[in-house]
Amino acid sequence: MNLGTRKLLDRSFTALGFGSIVIMGLALLVVLAPIASKGIGAIVFKGTIEHRKLLLNEFHRGDAAKIGKEEASANEYRQKVFDMLSEFDQELDGMDYEQQSKYRGNYDQVKTALRGLFGPLPGDTEPALTRFRYGQTRWDKAEEKLHDLLYEQKWDYSNPDVIAKPYDVSRAAEFEGTSLVKLFSYVEENLDKMMLPEWTVYWGFITDKSIDAHFFGGIWPEIQGTIFLAIGAMVFAFPLGVIAAVYFTEYAKDGFLTSMLRSANSTLAGVPSIVFGLFGLAFFINTLHVSHSKSVLAGSLTLAIMILPTIIRAAEEAILAVPKTYKEASLGLGSTKWNTIVTVILPAALPGILTGGVISLGRAAGETAPIIFTAAVSVGAAIGLGDVLNSPTPALSWNIYNLASEHEAAAEIRHVQYGMVLSLVTIVLLLNLSAIILRARISKKLKG
Amino acid sequence: MRRTGMVLLLLGMLIAWGGSPEAVAKGIMIDGSTTVGPISKSFAALFMKKYKVPVTVSESGSGNGAKSLINGSCDIADMSRSMKPQELAAAKAKGINPVAHVAALDGIAMVVHPSNPVRSLTKTQIADIYTGRVTNWRQVGGPNFPVVVIQRESNSGTQETFRELVLDKRKVVRSAETQASNGAVKNRVSQTRGAIGFLGLGYVDSSVKPIAVNKVMPSVATVKNNTYPLSRPLFMYTNGTPKGMVAKFIDLPKTPDGKRIIRELGFVPKY
Repeated sequence: MNLGTRKLLDRSFTALGFGSIVIMGLALLVVLAPIASKGIGAIVFKGTIEHRKLLLNEFHRGDAAKIGKEEASANEYRQKVFDMLSEFDQELDGMDYEQQSKYRGNYDQVKTALRGLFGPLPGDTEPALTRFRYGQTRWDKAEEKLHDLLYEQKWDYSNPDVIAKPYDVSRAAEFEGTSLVKLFSYVEENLDKMMLPEWTVYWGFITDKSIDAHFFGGIWPEIQGTIFLAIGAMVFAFPLGVIAAVYFTEYAKDGFLTSMLRSANSTLAGVPSIVFGLFGLAFFINTLHVSHSKSVLAGSLTLAIMILPTIIRAAEEAILAVPKTYKEASLGLGSTKWNTIVTVILPAALPGILTGGVISLGRAAGETAPIIFTAAVSVGAAIGLGDVLNSPTPALSWNIYNLASEHEAAAEIRHVQYGMVLSLVTIVLLLNLSAIILRARISKKLKG
Repeated sequence: MRRTGMVLLLLGMLIAWGGSPEAVAKGIMIDGSTTVGPISKSFAALFMKKYKVPVTVSESGSGNGAKSLINGSCDIADMSRSMKPQELAAAKAKGINPVAHVAALDGIAMVVHPSNPVRSLTKTQIADIYTGRVTNWRQVGGPNFPVVVIQRESNSGTQETFRELVLDKRKVVRSAETQASNGAVKNRVSQTRGAIGFLGLGYVDSSVKPIAVNKVMPSVATVKNNTYPLSRPLFMYTNGTPKGMVAKFIDLPKTPDGKRIIRELGFVPKY
């Protein structure tokens, strides 16, 4: 091959490699940037007076006197809306039946939209569910609800042969000629005075428990559950994995049994995670009865089995990478085999072993399928260290799925979902980072 | 130093293994139907506030709820259908005695995309759609648009009840899409123009359009007076007659607070 072609090939190869790295980085950015920006929106957002009221009533946080004052000023403006409602109520009473029924349905929709904004209206009975006891706690949501109040979405069904198109109808127009018509422009103009939006940094999102199935409050029980499960998995899997790796590298003789064990290990690494979940349910809970039902313990054990192959593999590679001369020198000085392994080989291999552990820890924190049947619940209190043996726990990975698909009001609580995703990503990154730092310090100590 | 660390780790393992699993006051564990889920979750919040007893709720489907109760791994099984004979037999073999309690009433609402002009279908038409005899909305008086059939997975109690009430145990057409929860069905229907699916009444909101079945709209009133053809009770199963805190929980649907919660969630109180 002549020099020119070779250079060209070289360069194009470099360009290809570089290009793929750039594409990967961009893809990561495309995924992570919205997660980060929307996830932060769960903590930093424009909170309304309703949010401050909620924090005061449910978590006893905030300055009661100041909030009371704000509430009074917001109520001053809201009172006009309520007055307009009662004025229209009277007007409605004066109408004949036909006119009444013409307005009744639309009027109920208006009231529902107002309840969405301000919480219960005067004269309503106190709602049982927390979600109906407060108005919109977030300004962005309040603006959405305002649109629902001002416009009704209708579908054009005039031609039954085609799929209909949506169009907005101004509600004000529906009430043309009645006293209610002025309500719409009034609410639109004075919404900020009635909701008092204010930039809020709500750290409670991380440290509070959730209220009313994640409608309000935070995600602490989920974060705690995730950490318990991940650490628990490591407690079981890491020592077992290292011991197995030592056996494979130092003690096992090459033979049929060893090669069987090795291939079993590789196969285990490729088993789909839901299989581990079902296995955990059948083996740990129904056969061994490690706990009465789902529990952190059962979940940790299942996750441990799942990450074991990765840990064994990584530890094996790390041990094999330790130079033979270390071992020979130690044995030559009269040390026993066990002593050599514990004092020479394992410390030298530790950075590599930790790398495997780190990767597995991240995986254990993020896995959903293995904990569905063994540990995760969609609602539960935060548990203490003493409860891990027999209490199930909510966990981020499962609750993200649950909130995004199964929750009856998934569309209303998108910010909680994004907040949870960001928390999970952050936890995994932090776990990885701390282990990388630990590894760096250990290898520095070994060299020095 | 390092060796003591390893030893400690192993010790920790041993303690974790050997630790007595009784200890701590046990809470109430609930597993099962995703349709009953919202009721259970709200009851749990009320219960935890009132009695300070921890309640955990898992939503893994009616079938899994039944299995959990049979294996003794939950105190209450939420189910959106009644237990099948084979489940009762399995329970008997394990010495479990499932007792049904009606938590609320529900209607299985047939929902379509809001752009769909179809307002009403008969039970036979719905059966024809789900068995694949009708593949275009034109055949049931709608626009010329292919039907996207959406069903639930086999573990779902809603799916079983639907099959029983509408399909007469006939098979659902193979091209039907399967979604794992009420929420997922709602989501899919609200985004797919030709779609039809079914939901528990409490899940219906403005993103989908409920249609009348045999000219009866699904609503609290029509479910309560049993004129809506796809009405059903929602159950909470316990092992034997419940006692103590579990009994208190089971009785919630009869209390004023319980009834209000059920109504606010969009389901129908029975009592």
